[in-house]
Amino acid sequence: MERRDSRALAQLYDRYGRIVYALILRIVRNQAAAEDLVQETFLRVWNRAQSFDAQKGAVGPWLMTVARNRAIDYLRSQEGRDRKLAVFEENEDPRLYSGMESDIVLADEARRVKAAMAKLPDNQRQVIELAYFDGLSQTEMAARLGQPLGTVKTWVRSALAGLRKTMEAGVAE
Amino acid sequence: MSCGELREHYELYALGLAEEPEHSEINAHLERRCEACAEGIRQALALVAAVGASAPSAAPPARLRRRLLASAGVPERHYGWPLAWAAAALLCLSAAVYFSGRERQYAEESQHLRRQLGDQTTELRRLQEAFAILNAPGTTEVVFGKGQPAPPNGRVFVNPTRGVMMIASHLPPAPAGRIYEMWIIPKGGSPRPAGLFQSRGDNTAMHIEPGPVDVAATAAVAVTLENEAGAPQPTSQPLIVAALPPPAR
Repeated sequence: MERRDSRALAQLYDRYGRIVYALILRIVRNQAAAEDLVQETFLRVWNRAQSFDAQKGAVGPWLMTVARNRAIDYLRSQEGRDRKLAVFEENEDPRLYSGMESDIVLADEARRVKAAMAKLPDNQRQVIELAYFDGLSQTEMAARLGQPLGTVKTWVRSALAGLRKTMEAGVAE
Repeated sequence: MSCGELREHYELYALGLAEEPEHSEINAHLERRCEACAEGIRQALALVAAVGASAPSAAPPARLRRRLLASAGVPERHYGWPLAWAAAALLCLSAAVYFSGRERQYAEESQHLRRQLGDQTTELRRLQEAFAILNAPGTTEVVFGKGQPAPPNGRVFVNPTRGVMMIASHLPPAPAGRIYEMWIIPKGGSPRPAGLFQSRGDNTAMHIEPGPVDVAATAAVAVTLENEAGAPQPTSQPLIVAALPPPAR
């Protein structure tokens, strides 16, 4: 990755292209836009690769974060919402991914998370999906769901706690 | 704010849901390289990234890879895929032609075998009928043509319950549009038609008319040459006449 050679980009895409495309398509629900955003995501990561030590950092989660940020920004701009890209981009700092397991977004880990999500009560799963895949703030979720803000906040916290607990227990295996 | 106070906001931060003042506080901790917060955020980011992996799977189109690599200035050989597609198409075409030919051949062979099996089944049934007539009690055997200067000759077997069987040799195949017809000639009255048959290429023939026969009332078994549709009564002189002996007293 650091050498920024063409083979590295091809390998990166071959490893993560499918999962990144699936994520972006889930968010924007438009194939043409998803293809544009996948290209933008990989080029952005590839261009910033010199600041990322692949030996120590997790490329997979970093890519997923960059992909989600690009897709949410596109979605919010399409819907005329405040884009907040600067806020989202705060978590793109490569240093935050050092020492992280790179394959957490692939194969077994992905299945484990799907199982953990499936175990959440419907309202909790819904708020996590609205936050992650639709980029809604808690206030926006409360408005969309017609629920008090406090209730939504409780659902979000409970969902995150449940997700963390299930993930740590590895119940899906 | 302390790291302890911020801990429960790490995942909200990773999701983009952190509110003020916690959002700015976490940024400040990260700015000053706070290891506790960095580690907490790292775990939260891993959890959130894994949520992204729960999206329904979808395969990107192949063109996307080419487009991405091209946009990064990566040279790519463009003849690869068209050539591969052309080769694949040619292979498919050849396979279609080959298998279509094979399929036709198999169909013809299958039809031929079915015909052969049908013929053999018919022949087997005829042989079973022949053996039944030969082995059944009360069968009368009559020799015909013996000692006569002109062919044909052979034998007739008559069984009262099984029927009549004729075996002939020196009986050339009937000419085009004609066929042999066997007759059961009673002692009184008109000859009864007993089936049409053709002789084989080696001038032999075996014909069976199954069914009960009143042997005592039968004078002879005869064969005439008739039009290929057969005739209700003989229209020509008989080629074969096998006179049955009078019943034993």
